[in-house]
Amino acid sequence: MADRRAAGEEGGDGGTNSSTTSQSRLSDVDEYGFQRPPDFDYATYEEFMSRYLTVLARRARKWAHLLGARETVGRGVKLKRYVRKGIPMKHRGKMWLEVSGARQQMSLRPGYYRAMLAGAPLGEEVQEAIRVDLPRTFPDNIHFRQVTQDAQVTQGKLVSLNNVLSAFCRHNAGIGYCQGLNYIAGLLLLVTNDEESSFWLLCVLTDSLLPDYYTSTMVGVLTDTRVMEALVKERCPLVWRHVEHYGLTWDLLVTKWFVCLFAEVLPIETVLRIWDCLFYEGNKVLMRVALALVVTNEAEILKAQDFGDIVKCFKKITQDANAIDCHSFMETVFKVSGSFPRARLAKLRDSCMEQVLAESKK
Amino acid sequence: MAQRTSVQRPSGGGQGKICQFKLVLLGESAVGKSSLVLRFVKGQFHEYQESTIGAAFLTQTVCLDDTTVKFEIWDTAGQERYHSLAPMYYRGAQAAIVVYDITNQDTFGRAKTWVKELQRQASPNIVIALAGNKADLANKRMVEYEEAQTYAEENSLLFMETSAKTAMNVNDIFLAIAKKLPKSDNSATGSQREGMTLRPSDPTPGPAGCCK
Ligand SMILES: Nc1nc2c(ncn2[C@@H]2O[C@H](COP(=O)(O)OP(=O)(O)OP(=O)(O)O)[C@@H](O)[C@H]2O)c(=O)[nH]1
Ligand SMILES: [Mg+2]
Repeated sequence: MADRRAAGEEGGDGGTNSSTTSQSRLSDVDEYGFQRPPDFDYATYEEFMSRYLTVLARRARKWAHLLGARETVGRGVKLKRYVRKGIPMKHRGKMWLEVSGARQQMSLRPGYYRAMLAGAPLGEEVQEAIRVDLPRTFPDNIHFRQVTQDAQVTQGKLVSLNNVLSAFCRHNAGIGYCQGLNYIAGLLLLVTNDEESSFWLLCVLTDSLLPDYYTSTMVGVLTDTRVMEALVKERCPLVWRHVEHYGLTWDLLVTKWFVCLFAEVLPIETVLRIWDCLFYEGNKVLMRVALALVVTNEAEILKAQDFGDIVKCFKKITQDANAIDCHSFMETVFKVSGSFPRARLAKLRDSCMEQVLAESKK
Repeated sequence: MAQRTSVQRPSGGGQGKICQFKLVLLGESAVGKSSLVLRFVKGQFHEYQESTIGAAFLTQTVCLDDTTVKFEIWDTAGQERYHSLAPMYYRGAQAAIVVYDITNQDTFGRAKTWVKELQRQASPNIVIALAGNKADLANKRMVEYEEAQTYAEENSLLFMETSAKTAMNVNDIFLAIAKKLPKSDNSATGSQREGMTLRPSDPTPGPAGCCK
């Protein structure tokens, strides 16, 4: 174990270097370009991967059969089941566009992305905010490394990220740039490998899937952490009491979960599986995941015996072996969160949002 | 590799007090809040530090004479739209470091706004320190030392210019805060619920440079 780590570190920093270690077949850079941290648990990951590869192969066959020569598929129970079991990476970007409706918008407005790219200069403040965050987005990913010339970023995903975020700010001046969107747009770029697709997916997320999340007051995020609290209180009262007892609030614990849609929170493979469902089924899956994380880790959370321990525990449960095993994780998410009527969620959101708005007026 | 001075364990339960304090870092985005914490807690600096979403939580322990001071640190997000979350972090905090970037005048203005907000809304006994960070970039300086110092004096703030990059004054500012915090048994911790139940276990190793 320790040897592996050392070997992993050696290959470090090189960027393009993806040397494998003698004991681990795994590179120190994952398939999405993320540098594995020095303390990466290769043993656990390999154990999971050896099982998951079989799953991936089966899903690939099933999807190939489903899609045949077609590019599109109709919505339905079967597709929903397929999406929940994971969209193969090969089809992921296209399917996200398809099932979220982003493709439709994109084809209705050809040339729109180009126009937004070339639009009037952004306000200085927005521009500065984006500029500052570019090199701070996935610095551990080889595709997001700075390639600069005269202080200008000249190639790679950082250029694309700048383009997508700037175009988005022009398209949606009301939202402008909200920290967190950099990670989301960055991940979209890694999956789709295409600026225009990433732009339209970002639009679908902010226009219809997560209205109010990234606005100037972020009222949607504040609302959903409260919704989550209400659900935890109902389904996991002991945890709710525990958190309350130590003077913590749910915003402190889970704001990033919602803002980043679990990117930079859960392991990458798990995040992509969640986003598969997010684009197909809508934002309800975020609540399912959040709830499942708490319910399945109840014992662990209750063991934490002070303020700091609880905060650290909430971080740990997003990175442990259960979180890494994305396939079982997603099965558990749907099993644990169970039936989850849309109407109930909508009602809960309404009342929580009312509270948030009332408090912000004080 | 940064030099590491490991923090000594408090010897046994009896001798020496253990105090626990909540500290919050506030300031405009990209002034270096996360970098200061990373330097203080892990002795590291990253040229490209990820932008913080919501807030990050870290702990570090320092020793002052016979007292072990455990900091529970909230490193908050700087962007204005995360402002509505800030009160949750400074509520109940015994100390705050308000950070600005000496190469950017706007961030100093923003720091003053934070100080005002803390004076109005935070606990009345909160110890506030002002950190003029990125002091290594003196050739790009836009905020004069004297200007900030005068402001700090007028508002009874601790003040230091710091550099997370070179480590200048980073441990010092945390230690200065630790010195200023009340360490009598009943006033040391913020929430009564927590009490003084700190176990003298696993102090995070780090370069806090105490117990030397
Ligand atoms: N030269 C120099 N650069 C620094 C120093 N401290 C931080 N930086 C750089 O400034 C940038 C921003 O630092 P962060 O620590 O991420 O800033 P932050 O205040 O946490 O920003 P948010 O998380 O967005 O609120 C990073 O690229 C750091 O490398 C310093 O003392 N000197
Ligand atoms: Mg930060």
